[in-house]
Amino acid sequence: MARRAFGLLGFLAVATLVALAPHWVSDFRAFQLATVGIYFIAIVGLNVLTGYSGQISLGHGAFMAIGGYTTAILMANHGVRDLWTIPLAALVAGVAGFLFGIPALRLSGLYLALVTFGIAVSFPSLLKKFAGLTGGGRGLNLFGLPQQTGGGVSVKLARHELTNNDWLYYLTWTIAGVLFVLAWLFLRGQAGRALRALRDSPVAAASAGVWPALYKTLAFGISAAFAGVAGSLLAIAVAFVNPDTFPISLSITLLVGAVVAGIGSVLGRFGSYVGPLAGASLIVFLQAYASDLLRWIEKGIPLHADPKAPGVPAVIFGLVVIVVMLLFPAGVGGVLDALTSRLSRRSY
Amino acid sequence: MEPAEPPLTQFLQQVVSGLASGGIFASLALALVLIYRATRVINFAQGEMATVSTFVAWSLVHHGMPFWGAFFLTLALSFVGGVALERVVIRPVESAPVLTVVIVTLGLAILLNGFTSVKWGSDVKKFPSPFPTRPIHAGGVAFSIQDLGVIAVSIALVLALGAFFRFTKLGLALRAAALNPEASRLVGVRVSWMLALGWGLAAVLGAVSGMMIAPVVFLDPNMMQTVLLYALAAAILGGMDSPVGAVVGGLALGVILNLTGAYVGFVGGTLRLPVALAVILLVLVVRPSGLFGRAAVRKV
Amino acid sequence: MRKLLLAGVLVAALAPTALGATRSDPGVDANSILIGGTAPLSGEASAGAGVARGAEAYFKWVNAHGGVNGRKIDYRYLDDGYDPSRTVQATRQLVQQDKVFAIFNTLGTANNLAIRSFLNQSKVPQLFSASGATTLGRDFGQYPYTMGYIPSYAAEGKIYGQYVVKTRPKAKIAVLYQDDDYGNDLLAGLRKGLGGRARQLVAKAGYDPTATDVASQVAQLKGSKADTFMIFAFGKFSLQAFFAMNKLGWRPKITIVNAVASASGLMALPPAKSTEGAISIVFTKDPANPAWAKDKGVKLFQTVMRRYYADGVKSGYAAAGASSAYTMVDALKKAGKDPTRASLVNAATHLNERGNPFLLPGILVKTTPRDRFPVSQLRLQRWHKGHWNIFGKLLVAKP
Repeated sequence: MARRAFGLLGFLAVATLVALAPHWVSDFRAFQLATVGIYFIAIVGLNVLTGYSGQISLGHGAFMAIGGYTTAILMANHGVRDLWTIPLAALVAGVAGFLFGIPALRLSGLYLALVTFGIAVSFPSLLKKFAGLTGGGRGLNLFGLPQQTGGGVSVKLARHELTNNDWLYYLTWTIAGVLFVLAWLFLRGQAGRALRALRDSPVAAASAGVWPALYKTLAFGISAAFAGVAGSLLAIAVAFVNPDTFPISLSITLLVGAVVAGIGSVLGRFGSYVGPLAGASLIVFLQAYASDLLRWIEKGIPLHADPKAPGVPAVIFGLVVIVVMLLFPAGVGGVLDALTSRLSRRSY
Repeated sequence: MEPAEPPLTQFLQQVVSGLASGGIFASLALALVLIYRATRVINFAQGEMATVSTFVAWSLVHHGMPFWGAFFLTLALSFVGGVALERVVIRPVESAPVLTVVIVTLGLAILLNGFTSVKWGSDVKKFPSPFPTRPIHAGGVAFSIQDLGVIAVSIALVLALGAFFRFTKLGLALRAAALNPEASRLVGVRVSWMLALGWGLAAVLGAVSGMMIAPVVFLDPNMMQTVLLYALAAAILGGMDSPVGAVVGGLALGVILNLTGAYVGFVGGTLRLPVALAVILLVLVVRPSGLFGRAAVRKV
Repeated sequence: MRKLLLAGVLVAALAPTALGATRSDPGVDANSILIGGTAPLSGEASAGAGVARGAEAYFKWVNAHGGVNGRKIDYRYLDDGYDPSRTVQATRQLVQQDKVFAIFNTLGTANNLAIRSFLNQSKVPQLFSASGATTLGRDFGQYPYTMGYIPSYAAEGKIYGQYVVKTRPKAKIAVLYQDDDYGNDLLAGLRKGLGGRARQLVAKAGYDPTATDVASQVAQLKGSKADTFMIFAFGKFSLQAFFAMNKLGWRPKITIVNAVASASGLMALPPAKSTEGAISIVFTKDPANPAWAKDKGVKLFQTVMRRYYADGVKSGYAAAGASSAYTMVDALKKAGKDPTRASLVNAATHLNERGNPFLLPGILVKTTPRDRFPVSQLRLQRWHKGHWNIFGKLLVAKP
């Protein structure tokens, strides 16, 4: 009972912080935090796949691309309002994920990673090829379209006037919160137990009556749907898509973010939402502040490296990944869960 | 007004160019297969390791070392580097689940890619070729000595590797360690060091691959990124645990890519990567062990 | 008495607005003007980074000599890796966070197109983009804040078509082109320049900028038995094309390589047999060409580069950047003592600049509100024994 209360309290505390943040930060920072929300959604979805059903995907950037392009094509070519494209993007990406999940059943861990890697690498070429639909290399511009809520300038909401960036912030984080709660509801019951059983011991699960095929493909579909929503929101936020908006590095970045967040952290516990928050923040802010970080390090250790060199964020990112995997394989979420469980444990 | 080249000549030309690019895929595929055989891991950082080795070679040449001296020194340094990476980064996660190791190799790839950018800059550099680039003409088809050299090197490597595994004690130990670590330990094989040796050798193969591709596509930090996917496709096509398969798969893939690019209008120059992916999918669906691999039996 | 005081206070408070004094636009303060842009500092197009660095060097030199109307120019450029989505994000950051006065010298066709709507909607000038995309200069009706700088690619393609028609009327042409807006722009111009002889274009092969190499396409083109080969490529792909020509033993009667790929540094890398005699256009004084060694403009260029960007002393890209920086300074001066974004765009659309030290002699940088192609004159040059040699007269290049 106490644990439940603590859990709820923790969630409400974080939710409150998220709700109030735009008041304390600059307009542009709100935009950056909105992108954190986008990655949060993708990472939570990826955790459903990798943490719960034990399937590796190096190709979730492609599902984000499907969601993002669904939104862009509907907005630019069919005049659909941006908000209504979001559930559609989720549907299209979810179906694609579900369909991919079927042949994926035949592939074990490493080979699945390989195939999804191949998808992520070759997807941009496909997007460029079908230029009639996707706008090809030039991409699709969504800025200023009448379908864009607020026209990229400001949005009126319940007698408040929000700047475009604040609007994006609330949009992404509201959706993130809703999706997180939905995932929690779905996974706390039988489905969650079934998936974890499949991950830990497929044979035992099957003999216990769990139908592996259905649950695994369902996990793929849900995970892809989450990525699709993230991609859709990214398209809305940046107001521009082209094949390079969703490069191979995105898929790898997502997986890394999920790992840093903590794979397999039971959804609902403190680590399961703070972890993805940390992972998503790492992704967004490392790129922006890597050179500052390097300058700070240089004060102590002379590295003779040019802080403005383009490779610096990658080096730090790679180091972070390796260190986390070697020292904290359970990720930020795992560490936090271990700490908080100690807090809410009774002393006897 | 000359008519266009006869179709047969054009076809042969595409096949020959395909074999040439295939030779490059083959050498990187060999490295991947070696690590897979030794450690059951797909090393997603193989391409980036090769890039670093090639840049090291470039630096040596740039500072005045003659080409072949730099070449062999780079191989030695790559060997040491490969062993070091295995000891420091892979050993701690040797018995960890697949996902962990995949992530670690990915992190390594990201790290090395950034490192080459920082250390050597991102602009394109010229890399000397050990072979002259003069073309030879035979029946209207142009071969370049460089391309023949690349193919010859790949074949030589696989032969050398094969000989190493078959006829040396160390090679035997490596195979034993990969096949049955427990039993090998019992007979005194230092399994852990065998894995490091595998990584070292793979790094050497990768370095050769990098130094052969750089004269053709020019040296820059992202040189190996797409080659990695082609090499993975080649390894899958040939069979992940077969070195011969890696070379055959590489050559075959090069030809497939060129032919589909030239003759299937839909594919053209833009869909080469999806074709490689299609090859991977086709092989995994139809014959998962590839052309030369042994079918794995899954024990429950 | 109190009423007078109140009136006085009101007048004092309202006077500035009453007199029509303008609030200064973002990015301008008493001491400096902040302009921003993006360039490919990394990635396969990183050879183009010189354009930004050359411009930066020139601005630093101008700052050291008094600046513009007493203000120093602060030019902030971010890396976009030639990726338009990164360009979008970086440009938004520059406009919304750093609050730049104008966007300048952004490199890349797709990159400029990606940010065009946003900038025009936010009324931020997008000036002297480092791209010859014809639409940048042509579509000012919809995008009044946007303008390119270098001769448009369509015009360049047209010049090549006209050259072939004049010198080898029976030529058969094969084209290797980058399959995007940039390459297709050149191709469209070529067709226009060939006019009625468009059928002489017997083969074309496109490549994707993410491809590993173009050897297969070059082999295809050689197979068409064309005797004229045009390379509409960028960065390492043009190098690969020359190498492939050499390997295949293909020696076309005319080889044309487009301007952006023709930097002396790049042309020196492939075997001489393949590049000898290649033709391109030029509009800057190439600092690597000994023919310009004694030219005052080039000497100035070298002084500036030695001081602020040593790697760029012989770089054609840096020269292109310096020339657009010179024009930017020109426009900023004309924008007045208290420049606003509107006054800057006005100055940029009324250019009449002679004597840009980094452009070829005789080139007049001229714009009007309805003619937004600042540099529209060029000359042809031929690569011979490791150098570019200019030949022929100054040509007009309009799309």
